Amino acid sequence: MRRSTQVAAPLLAAAALAITTGCRKPEMQRCVDENNRVVADNFCASQPNQQQQQRPDGHGGFIFIPMLYHYYYGGWGGYGLGSTVGGGRLTPSWGRSYINSSGRTLRGGFGRSFSEGGSHFSGHAGGAGE
Amino acid sequence: MQRIPLTPREDWQQKVESAGLTFHTLEDGTANGDPYWDESAAYQFTAAEIDTLEAAGNTLQEMCLAAAQHIIDQKRYAELDIPAEAIPAIEWAWNNEPPALYGRFDLSWAGAESGHAPKLLEYNADTPTSLLEAAVIQWNWVKEMDHNKELSAFGSLDQFNSIHEKLIAKWKDIDPFLSKPIYFAALDNPEDQLTVTYLRDTAEQAGLPTLQMYMEEIGWNDEQQAFLDPNEDHMFSIFKLYPWEAMLQEEFGPHAIDTYQSTRWIEPIWKMLLSNKGILPILWQLYPNHELLLESHFDSPGTMADYVRKPLMSREGANITLVRDNATIATTGGPYNGPQIDQALAPEAVFAKENGDRRHPILGLWMIDQNCCGLGIRESAGPITDNFSSFVPHFFI
Repeated sequence: MRRSTQVAAPLLAAAALAITTGCRKPEMQRCVDENNRVVADNFCASQPNQQQQQRPDGHGGFIFIPMLYHYYYGGWGGYGLGSTVGGGRLTPSWGRSYINSSGRTLRGGFGRSFSEGGSHFSGHAGGAGE
Repeated sequence: MQRIPLTPREDWQQKVESAGLTFHTLEDGTANGDPYWDESAAYQFTAAEIDTLEAAGNTLQEMCLAAAQHIIDQKRYAELDIPAEAIPAIEWAWNNEPPALYGRFDLSWAGAESGHAPKLLEYNADTPTSLLEAAVIQWNWVKEMDHNKELSAFGSLDQFNSIHEKLIAKWKDIDPFLSKPIYFAALDNPEDQLTVTYLRDTAEQAGLPTLQMYMEEIGWNDEQQAFLDPNEDHMFSIFKLYPWEAMLQEEFGPHAIDTYQSTRWIEPIWKMLLSNKGILPILWQLYPNHELLLESHFDSPGTMADYVRKPLMSREGANITLVRDNATIATTGGPYNGPQIDQALAPEAVFAKENGDRRHPILGLWMIDQNCCGLGIRESAGPITDNFSSFVPHFFI
């Protein structure tokens, strides 16, 4: 015989089950500016949760100022300050969980080449294998 | 070598899913795409043909290692478009032999009766996939089909496939050289995640503790000059299903180079020399007219009238041009630019379906350690194997 006498892959089977039943890991939540560049989380944390800010115009009325900073959920790109993100959403998706960056450790510095505009990777693939 | 039409097993989707292959059907935008795992046929080999393939894999491995040594000795990195900043790490890795695990040669062959030797198309030495299909799913298939009436005429079925055993043995072999846990990192898609889950499974069965994460979750801490996992723990041993050429272009690439000697990356960075299409003309220069090779040249077809043009670092059949009688007969799009090589067209290896449709198989020979230990076959409707090609099981008698 030229084949393995026994092939047991319980982790693989469990992972496949998790995928088919929709179990997913958290996605990234980053604070970005109007150009979708990542800024420190405290820029977003200090802003009200609305799409536009109002500020008195000094004449009894208000001027509306577009939100400079907002959270960005999922998609490509990482947590690196100044890096660009895309492919995600301005609002969290139902049923998904998100994590923000922590401390001084930067994340997202690997993985961008295959997620940015990745629609040309289709069929059974979409990955980095060959 | 024959292509045998078969009736797929009842509930084959559920069977392959429960074993780990959730991506068994191609995503073509419809609810019912063509199967990626295609058991409506199988390739049958003779034992002698399997011996030929096994010997080819082992010979090609020796030739590729000699070619890597040649590239390093002669400093031919620029021809492979390898960035200068990666060279010290490549040379350190080559000389110090940090753990390497696996690779897959892709060959074209129509079997012994073709009168030709198998021909090397490329070496997927850094990030080969279709691993769990070859190691697990087709093993389960042949075990069940051994008693199938459609194949009863062939007697007891065997399969060239000890990938699973060899992987576990290799993990045990490299265990002393790896800090624990071993991290397995890949992109967030089912194929890549399940491929690394399978590799992680084999490492766990070899007794090595593991953790799994997304590539994007790998953290870099400047103060510690270290890669950190999501729990802020130092990562010393990392299996990454992610090509070195992409890593080097990304934000953390310089950190991977700077800390290379203190981090065990699998595959090691010297695999860039072999996963690069530039290895093909270098092999041809070192072993001209070798029966396992196709004539290949950098940036020029020379006197060849029938050839395929491939970018040095393309994958999944992207950016390929087929030329016959000096005329382009097929091209594929894609994101890969840069230097290219020209490789002679292989002798035709085409099999017919029952309805007469042509099928082009590519034989993937799995190398674990330095040993050829398995075969996986990708099949496509056209001469270019791409990410719409299917995986077809095999057996031999």
